[in-house]
Amino acid sequence: MVMGTERLDEATAELLANVAAEDAKRPDEPSLPFGEWVKKNLFSSIPNAFLTVFFSLLTLFAYRQILNFVFSEERRWEGVRVNLRGLFTFSYPASQYHRIWITLGIVLVLSGMSMGLMKSIGRGFSIKRISMWFYSVGLSLVVGILLREPSVLKDADGLARWSFPDGSPIARSETGLLLIRDDEGVSLLAEGESPLLLRESFGSAMSDRGWWWIIAVFALGIGSALWFGFGDMKRRTTFIPAIPLTFGFLGLFISSVWWYQWGHYGRDDAGILISEPDRLVASTTRIPWTILWFVLVLAYVAGRALVRTERAGLTRVLIGFSALLTPFVTYFVILRDPDLDWAHVWSTDIPMALAFMVGGGLIMWILTNPAIGERGRLIATALMGIAVFNWVAAFFGWYAMLQKARISFLLLALAALAAHNFAGDARQRLRSVWGWMGAMVIVHYLATMINTAETVAAPDQFAGGFVVTIYIAVFTMIFSFPLGVILALGRTSRMPLFRVMSTIYIEVVRGIPFITILFFFAVFVEFFLPEGMDLAALASAGIAFTLFSAAYLAENIRGGLQAVRQGQYEASDALGLTTVQRTGFIILPQALRVSIPPLVGAVIATFKETSLLSIVGLTDFLRVANSNIPGQTEFLGVKREGLLFICLIYWIGSYSMSKYSQRLEKQLGVGER
Amino acid sequence: MTDTAESSLAATAAAKPPFYRDATVVKWIVQVVTLIAVILAMIFLVGEAGDNLKAKGINTGFDFLNVNPDFSIGDGIDNAPDTGGRALWVGMVNTIRLSVAGIALATILGVLIGISRLSSNWIVAKVASAFIEYMRNIPLLVHIFLLFFTLGQLGDFGRNVDPVTGELSQGPINGWVHVSNKGLSIPRVHIADGFYQWMIFILAGAIVGRWLMNKRNAVRDATGHETYPVLNFVGVIASFGFIGWFLHPIFGWVGDAIFGPLSRAIPNVPEVALQLILSGLAVMGAALWIKRFLDNRRTPAGLAQLTDDDWFRMIFAGVSAVLASLVFLVIWPGLASWIINSSRDFFEVAADKFGDGRGNWREDWPIDAARPDIEKRGNFANVGPGGLNFSQGFAALFFGVVLYTSAFIAEIVRGGILAVPKGQTEAAQAIGLRRSTMLRRIILPQAFRVSLPPLGNQYLNLTKNTSLAIAVGYSDVVQVGQTIFNQTGRSLEVFMIWMLFYLACSLTISVVVNFFNVRLKIVER
Repeated sequence: MVMGTERLDEATAELLANVAAEDAKRPDEPSLPFGEWVKKNLFSSIPNAFLTVFFSLLTLFAYRQILNFVFSEERRWEGVRVNLRGLFTFSYPASQYHRIWITLGIVLVLSGMSMGLMKSIGRGFSIKRISMWFYSVGLSLVVGILLREPSVLKDADGLARWSFPDGSPIARSETGLLLIRDDEGVSLLAEGESPLLLRESFGSAMSDRGWWWIIAVFALGIGSALWFGFGDMKRRTTFIPAIPLTFGFLGLFISSVWWYQWGHYGRDDAGILISEPDRLVASTTRIPWTILWFVLVLAYVAGRALVRTERAGLTRVLIGFSALLTPFVTYFVILRDPDLDWAHVWSTDIPMALAFMVGGGLIMWILTNPAIGERGRLIATALMGIAVFNWVAAFFGWYAMLQKARISFLLLALAALAAHNFAGDARQRLRSVWGWMGAMVIVHYLATMINTAETVAAPDQFAGGFVVTIYIAVFTMIFSFPLGVILALGRTSRMPLFRVMSTIYIEVVRGIPFITILFFFAVFVEFFLPEGMDLAALASAGIAFTLFSAAYLAENIRGGLQAVRQGQYEASDALGLTTVQRTGFIILPQALRVSIPPLVGAVIATFKETSLLSIVGLTDFLRVANSNIPGQTEFLGVKREGLLFICLIYWIGSYSMSKYSQRLEKQLGVGER
Repeated sequence: MTDTAESSLAATAAAKPPFYRDATVVKWIVQVVTLIAVILAMIFLVGEAGDNLKAKGINTGFDFLNVNPDFSIGDGIDNAPDTGGRALWVGMVNTIRLSVAGIALATILGVLIGISRLSSNWIVAKVASAFIEYMRNIPLLVHIFLLFFTLGQLGDFGRNVDPVTGELSQGPINGWVHVSNKGLSIPRVHIADGFYQWMIFILAGAIVGRWLMNKRNAVRDATGHETYPVLNFVGVIASFGFIGWFLHPIFGWVGDAIFGPLSRAIPNVPEVALQLILSGLAVMGAALWIKRFLDNRRTPAGLAQLTDDDWFRMIFAGVSAVLASLVFLVIWPGLASWIINSSRDFFEVAADKFGDGRGNWREDWPIDAARPDIEKRGNFANVGPGGLNFSQGFAALFFGVVLYTSAFIAEIVRGGILAVPKGQTEAAQAIGLRRSTMLRRIILPQAFRVSLPPLGNQYLNLTKNTSLAIAVGYSDVVQVGQTIFNQTGRSLEVFMIWMLFYLACSLTISVVVNFFNVRLKIVER
């Protein structure tokens, strides 16, 4: 789905680039004078004025409550700050961290390159808009400084000071307890009275917030400088591209690890975990983040440099493929680290892969010959017979065979059955051969990697936190997409049995809550497996997500399929295309184009649904915040802080994806007919 | 889809292809082989599950439905269910209650927020969109947890004692709204004795009102004068309700005279007759469907050629009807007696509810209201007509689900309003409609037509999302089911019950939404 822009053909992309170029010249709306703007948007009529007053007061009240909550002395944000590592990677062994950095690096290189390779990167934000941002940040800071209640007064030990309702202070005992009983143990507070927290005066609170004042004035200053430094027309026609601007802000944020004391949660000399709030982040975190930022920027710059050259198209395809493969590679190699038996690899695995590549390639070459006719089908059917026989034999144990070989035979038979759809001249036939060989390399590589012992502990034990969230989301996306396409084709097919089966599957899965499916896979799936077979908790959760998500994707894709005009079917029939050719080359591309925005919506839904993993006992992001942090002795019961933090992360993830899908929708011109 | 091309080619060649090149035959072979493979795989998996369960010494079967489950349920119509089936029923009622109340509240909130987001007032639009973006970009489970812990941080129920009166109190509005770590409590309206008799009045009012409305509509159409038909309708119902409020005991005989005899008569219906009626209905339905299907295929030139797909549909309908009658007659004869018993029970309950003996005309109002009543420190009053109490889990779940869904509904409403072509607004302005009339008569009806199907989807989602009750320990059907399978190990059976229950809910909602959808559709010539 990330490749949405890549799937466009050249002409459309060119057109879009032109539209974007036109867009870039169009200025922002002229701004009304402040007084007129207020009159038009806030006080246009008497009911409107009432609404404005009411909602302003409501907003101010909510803002004050939020500030009081976030900056309250009772909040223990260091519980989140020092647990960032746990939240994101849980108990991943620290000695293996380089794997995660490398994974992140690969992802950043790929996304930076593909961002750089985009034909049009949009017109970005006008100076007017950026200036308004600075103004609003500055203003909300000023309002916030004035609104927040004064801080609690503390004594020399750092404990809050309290007073009786009449204002006389309450003393503390040596152990720090409040003395609200006299010597005989009689409460000094009357029934129903409660002690008051002592707070500093408004004036001293204002002067205590000096740094905030400075930041607010700074933001307002930049805003005014941008606003008044440019003339009205220039302010509206000067645009700063969004991606470099984002990188800039990201860089500013990342640079803070070098100068802001975010705190640190590490082991002391005795090896016990301790939290150290007032120090810089450890250099093992600081340096990789900095490097990663530079990697991202460099990848983007490289992409920008390539975009005008001839290689841009090829690079795009390569990046698309790598993006599809990255999850497997990172999972099997970087996160799993297989312990390969090299003798076996050289003696069996590689020769077998080569045999299938060459033999299969030869078969593909023969079968894509347009002149082969009926004989081709006979060969393909025979191959299918062999492939099926292998599985039957495996079931009854007639002869031993590597599972890899059985799978390869089956794939070969399927490819042979579909081969006549790709018949053509020598160049076309060679392309099929290369395609087959590439597929074999990937399949054999993955099968070899999965089937070996691993050197890092089993994923279930240390996979946790945000890593699990991301992995489940990505795997669901990759596997449920093809399944969803198949189900959608089945449901719209004219073959009644396929239609009935797909419809039953889709409707049943969509009719029941996801949590029951997740329970089914977490609790019951072990009963269904043959003797001796076992499924890791993470894997069964992944399967549950895939099967569930596929039903929803199928409905989205069905919408796209129904949007394809009947004439397209008739035209391809008139050209004499086969069913596979018509579906693969004519119908699906158009259907998927229409359904890209809802597909991104499905990805967002999956991303949010990963939070359910915590109910079935996997240690995901939510579970760390919800039960692991509050379980630590230092942060007993610190729950809402962690929850608010993960709210923020989920929000950023979903919001940016939904904005992306909106942009995509605009680019593809869906809904503008 | 290829058959059009291929069959015409075959016709020109005027030669029938060999059977293995015949598209229809090949298609059917592929389909049947796939179906058999799927069925075999399922048989294999189910057999495997049976063996594994036997090896682990876990019994199977639905007998847990009749066994005392030995646990109590915190919320619901029965706190100590005496059978497993009853416990699940309590869970189902809780789910249904949550969903129905949630759908009503979420719709109201969602429509309000959706309209506010399109408001011309800058701050109203911004507040609405901030709410929407906050709610829908964060997982529901996180919302529920946040609400749950926020409630948990509040003070005890009845924590403070009024120094003057000595009454227990807990704000924010004492005696009306109480928010505490035990949940929240608000005033409620509840059905009192005499409600059902009163409903007879309301029903009569609706019939008369409807008649009057049609009449007024006809007058308006004929003369062009505004006759306020809807106002008349509402007025008639209101006046009937007002009279019935005082006169409802005169219908005290309904229970004994109508429902009592009915409940006594129903067990006399022979089961075989009901079975025959049910299977007859199934067969008749299939026959009607096939007839309509064939009628649709009929053109002035005669019956169009039927494809294999058409044949499959007709055969499928016939076979399902036969299977259904087999189920009614042979496989599950208990269904008929179950229907008979349930209808007898239903009429018994109705006879009781409509029954007489509510004597006092002055005190028995049809509807009563009650305020939250603090009897005890730190807890809700569990007995007596108190306020409407939301336990901590219920409150978190309910408001989480409602607010979350309302954000999505708001987006749907906004989309619907934006989908109304601008020409409609302009035309309405051109004929001089007021803004409010335009919204009510032109924009909203069209917007509603566009947004009804996605709205139905959201209702389905809301119903399914109530299953997150398990995270906060509220006893919905999933939570009760999980407790049962933890105790008895009957995981598959519980899963099947969940599935059937939720599918039934989904089907109900789909049918209701579809009913309105069909009514709202533009009638095309």
